[in-house]
Amino acid sequence: MSFWQSFLRNRGAVAGLAVLAAVLLLALSAPFLFSFDPWDTRGAPLQPPGEGFALGSDMLGRDVLAGIFHGARVSLFIGVVSTVFAVVIGVVVGAVAGYFGGLVDDVAMRFTEFFQTIPSFVLAVLLVAILTPGLASIVIAISVVTWPPVARLARSEFLALRHRAFVEAAVLSGVSHIRIIFGEVLPNALTPIVIMASLMVATAILTESALSFLGLGDPNRISWGYMIGAARAVFRHAWWLSVFPGLAIFVTVLAINLVGEGLNDALNPHMRRRTDP
Amino acid sequence: MRILLFLGGWLVKAALILLAIVVLNFCLVRLAPGDVATVLAGESGAADADFLARTRAEFGLDRPLPAQLATYVGNVLSLDLGVSYRTRRPVADMVLERLPATLLLTGTAFLFALGVGPALGVLAAVKARRPADSLITVAALVFYAMPIFWVGLLFILFFSVTLGWLPPFGMRSLIPPSGELARAIDVARHLVLPAVTLGLFYVAIYARLTRGAMLETAGLDYVKTARAKGLPEWRVVTAHILRNAMLPIITFAGLQAGHLVGGAIVAETVFAWPGIGRLAFDALLQRDYNLLLAVFLASAVAVVLFNFVTDLLLRIADPRIGAAGG
Amino acid sequence: MSRVWKSIAFAAGLALSATTVAAQAPQKGGILNSTLWPEPPGIVIGVNLNAPTLLPATKMFEGLMTYDFNLAPVPVLAESWEIAPDGLTYTFKLRRNVKWHDGKPFTAEDVVFSFNEFMPQVHSRSRPTFERVKTTAVDAHTVRLELKEPYAPLIRSFDTLSAPIMPAHLYKGTDFRANPINQTPVGTGPFKFKEWKKGEYVHLVRNDSYWQAGKPYLDAIYYRFIPDSASRALALETGQVQLAAQTDIEFVDVARLGKIPGLVVTTKGWEWNSTISWIELNNRRKPFDDPRFRRAILHALDREFIRTNIFFGLAKVATGPLHSSSPFYDPNVPAYPFDPAKASALLDEMGLKPDGGGVRARVKLLGLPYGELWSRLSEYIRQALGKVGVQVTLESSDVAGWGSRFANWDYDMTTTFLSMLADPALGVSRTYLTSNIRKGVLFTNTSGYSNPEVDALFAKAAGSTDEGERKRLYSQIQKIVAGAAPIAWLVEIQWPTIHSAKLRDAIINGFGPNDSFADAWLAK
Repeated sequence: MSFWQSFLRNRGAVAGLAVLAAVLLLALSAPFLFSFDPWDTRGAPLQPPGEGFALGSDMLGRDVLAGIFHGARVSLFIGVVSTVFAVVIGVVVGAVAGYFGGLVDDVAMRFTEFFQTIPSFVLAVLLVAILTPGLASIVIAISVVTWPPVARLARSEFLALRHRAFVEAAVLSGVSHIRIIFGEVLPNALTPIVIMASLMVATAILTESALSFLGLGDPNRISWGYMIGAARAVFRHAWWLSVFPGLAIFVTVLAINLVGEGLNDALNPHMRRRTDP
Repeated sequence: MRILLFLGGWLVKAALILLAIVVLNFCLVRLAPGDVATVLAGESGAADADFLARTRAEFGLDRPLPAQLATYVGNVLSLDLGVSYRTRRPVADMVLERLPATLLLTGTAFLFALGVGPALGVLAAVKARRPADSLITVAALVFYAMPIFWVGLLFILFFSVTLGWLPPFGMRSLIPPSGELARAIDVARHLVLPAVTLGLFYVAIYARLTRGAMLETAGLDYVKTARAKGLPEWRVVTAHILRNAMLPIITFAGLQAGHLVGGAIVAETVFAWPGIGRLAFDALLQRDYNLLLAVFLASAVAVVLFNFVTDLLLRIADPRIGAAGG
Repeated sequence: MSRVWKSIAFAAGLALSATTVAAQAPQKGGILNSTLWPEPPGIVIGVNLNAPTLLPATKMFEGLMTYDFNLAPVPVLAESWEIAPDGLTYTFKLRRNVKWHDGKPFTAEDVVFSFNEFMPQVHSRSRPTFERVKTTAVDAHTVRLELKEPYAPLIRSFDTLSAPIMPAHLYKGTDFRANPINQTPVGTGPFKFKEWKKGEYVHLVRNDSYWQAGKPYLDAIYYRFIPDSASRALALETGQVQLAAQTDIEFVDVARLGKIPGLVVTTKGWEWNSTISWIELNNRRKPFDDPRFRRAILHALDREFIRTNIFFGLAKVATGPLHSSSPFYDPNVPAYPFDPAKASALLDEMGLKPDGGGVRARVKLLGLPYGELWSRLSEYIRQALGKVGVQVTLESSDVAGWGSRFANWDYDMTTTFLSMLADPALGVSRTYLTSNIRKGVLFTNTSGYSNPEVDALFAKAAGSTDEGERKRLYSQIQKIVAGAAPIAWLVEIQWPTIHSAKLRDAIINGFGPNDSFADAWLAK
C-alpha cells in the first residue's frame, strides 16, 4: 500500500491536515484580511465578542481576531524554524556518534546526556532571558533544549545502518565520510527522524506560547501566548481574551499531532503491520 | 560486584555532570546584562556610584570572572551555596523552604498521572477500536495538545470564579484555620486545581504510551503463543503484555520524576503556588545569581538521582538491559 | 470624568458619609492586616531603601517632623524649631518624654548620631543633604544644625523616610549594615517589632509607652506577603486584609474594588512621593538631540488615552518637570496637546520626510519591565509614534538589564517613573542638572540635557530661603525646561490606597500608608 493510501485511510490524520492547512491559510491571509497593524487600537477597550469585534477587543481596544490571524504567523514560524535547527543539531551529533562509534560516540553521547539533565523549560527560560527576548533568542532556546532526543534517535539509526553492506562498500571504495553520512546513510535513516520532527513542531509551538505567557516573547510580534499572558490581569473581567488565543494554540497543536501520528502509521512498517492485519 | 561497579560508575558520572552544570550555569548567568547592584539601586529609587561599588564589593562581583567562578565552585563543593543577593539569607535555606511546596504539587500530579494514565492506557488497549478506546485516545490527544497555563486559567475561570468551588490561588488561606486537620484540608483544597492541571498533561502521555506499547507487544510472537496455549485473556494481558509494556512507562516516569523539582514554573506562576519554580523565575528577573544557581543545582540533582533510580528499576524489570549494558 | 473615576468618587463619598456619621472618638483595639509585596530585604530605613521596607519601618521609627497634604511641616520628635534669618542655623527643641522601645530615653545624642554618622554612611538618597550639615547637641534636648550656605530643601528633609532617628546606644561604633539589631529594630514609633516570619508576615505590636498618651489605637499590625496581585485583591474583598497600597493591586482591579461596599479607594497620601512617569529621551543621540523631535513625540501621544486606558484613571496628565502637588508648581508652561498633524509638521520642518513605507525615523524603546501596565504603555507608544512616521522597535529586558542600560546611557528611549519628593531641589533637579550627569548611576541626569541657565536657576533656588523668590525661580525653570522638552512627561501617577471603610484616620498626611499610624483606628 502506498504512503498516501495508508495516510488517507487515517481519518484523524486527514482532519489534522485539513486544520493545519486552515491555520496556514490564516497565517498567509492575515496581511490581506486584516491589513491594519494588529497592535493598533481599533475601538473601545474590553468589548465582548459581538458586533464591533467578532472575538472582542482587549484592554487597549485591539482586535482579538486580528491578533489570532497575525499570531498564527509567529507560532508556525517558530515551530518550524526551531524544529529545523534542532533536527540539524541532533542529526549532526547523532550521525557523528553513531557513524564513528568508539570515543567519538562516547563524548557525543555524554554531551547529549548533559543537556538532557538540565530541566529543559528552565533552561529555555534562562536562555531567552539572557539573550533578551526576541524571535531569534526564542528559536535558539527551543532548539537548544529539544535537539537531544533527535541525536539519540539519529545515533541508533546510524548504529544500525553503519555495518550494512552498502555502507561498508562505500567506505572501502574510498568515498569521504561526509558523503557517506549525508549521501548514503542519512536518506535511509530519515523516516523516523521526519516523524519525530513533525511532533517536535507541536512541542515547539507549546514552548513558545509558554515563554510568551511568562512575558518572554518577542515584544514586537503579536503571538498567541503573549495574548493570553497580557490578558491575565483582566481574565476575570474578559474571558474572551484568554479563551480564543488558547483555542488557537490547542487546535493547531492537536492538528500537528494528528498529522504526525498519521505519518507514523503510514511510514512505520512495523506499525503498519499492526494496523493492517 | 557488578552492582558496586554500576554504583561507582554512576557516582563518578553524576559528579561530573553536576560539576559541568555548575560551571555552565555560572557562565550563562553572568553573560546576561546588568547585575544585582543595578536591581537594588532601581528598587531604592536612588543610587550613587558608591552604593553600586559597595554592593558589588560586598558580593565579590567586582572581582575577575575566573576568580568568582573558582570561589563559587569551591563553595559548592563544600556544600556552601552562598547568600541571596537580595534577601541576604543563605540560598540553601530559601530553596529548602520552597521545596516542600513544589514537591507536594509535582508529587501529587505525578501520583495522579501514574495512577490514572496507565490504567486508561490499558483500558484503551484492551478495548482497542471500540468506543471506550476512541474516547480515551481522543481525550489523551486533547490534554496533550492544550497549553498547561491555558488549562489552568480555564479551570480557575470555571471552578473558582464561576462555580466558587475551589480557591484559585496560593497554597493556603491567608489566615489558615486552626487545627491540624482543618489546615491540611485547606492546603488540599488549594492543591486540587494546580495538581490536576499539571497531572492531566502527564495522564495523557502515560495513556498514549501504555496503549501504544501494549498494542505493539500484543502482536509479538510470544503473546500469540501464550494465547495459543489457552491461557485466560486477563493472564495474557497482565503477565505477558503489561510486563513488557512497563518498560516505556518506567522510562517516562523516571523522566517525569526528574522534573519533580524544576518542572512546574508555569503551573506555579498561574496558581501563585509558592514553590521553587516561581522562586527561580523571580530570581531570574531580579538577577539573584546565587539563588538561581541553587535552584538549578537542586533540579539537576533531582534529574540525576531519578535517572539512577530509573536505570535500577529498568534492570529489575528487564534483566536483558543489565546484561547488555553491564 | 471617566467611569472608573465616578465609581471611585462614589466609593469615597460613601466612606466620607460613613466617617461623618461615626465622627466620634477613635476606638481602641483591633488588629490591622495589610498587604506588603514584595517581601522586603530588610526593614530598617537607610540600610534598605526599597519601597516595601518603608511600610513597616515607618511604624517603628520616627523623624523630627512629618509633612501634611500640602507638604507643610508638622512636629513629631521635634517639639519646635527656629531657623536663623541667614538660613545657616537650625535649632530644634526635642520632646522630653520619648523612650526607645528598649526603655532607654531618647536624647539629642541620638539626633546628632543619626545626622552626623548614620545618614551620611548608609542613606544614599539623604546623604547629599546631610553631608552639608554639621549637627551638635546644645543640651540633652536641643540640637543645632549648621550649614555653610543656605539650603532651602533642608526644612523638608526631616521626615521618617528621609531622616529617621536611630538609637545611638545600639548603633554607635558598629558596622551599621551588619548590626544584628537590624533584624529586631528598636525605634521610638507607635509600634514595636514583634516577629518576622519569612515568606509570611511582619508582625508589629502596640508600643504601650508611646510618647503620645493614649496612642496608638491599634493593638497590632500584620504586614502579610501575598505574591499574586489577584490574591491580594481577593484578600481585600474577603476582608482578610484591610489595607493595600501603591502597586499592590493592579490598576485595572482598583475600580472594581472601589465599587465593593465596605472598601474605600483614595489617591490622597502620596503628596510627598509625587510620582511622574515619563519617556526618557537620550539627548545625545540623533534625532533626539533636536528639540523639535522631542516636541513632536509629545504631540504624537494622546496622554488622555494613556491616563484612561493604561492607568485606568489613576493618573493625571503631566505638564512638565514639577508635580502639580508641589507648592512650586506652575501650570503656565508650554503645553503639548495631542496633535499628530503638529507632530508631522515639526518632523517635516526638521527635514525628516517619510520614505516609501511612510517611515521618517527608526528608534528603539526600552520598556520598563515592571509588569503588564508598562508593557501596554510601551505598546501604545510604539503605535502612536508609528502614526506620525516614527517607527519604534520595542526592546525588552529584565529589571537588571533595564537598570544597567538606562544608567549607562545605552538606550534611545525608555519609560520610567520617579518620585519628585518634597522639594524640587531634592527630587526634580537631579534629572536636569548638568552636574548630575553621572554615567552608571540610576536616577541622575541620564538624558544628558544640559543648559547652563537652568543649572544656575536650580542652584539659586536651592540656596534661597525666601519661598516667594523660590517660587519665581522654579516658574522660570519650568517654562524653560518644558519648552525644551528634554524628556516626554506622560502622567502623574496617582497611587491608590485601598482600605476597609472600618479603617479610619490612616491617610492623614502627605505620607499616606507610610505614616506612623499612631492615629489610625478600626471601627468595630
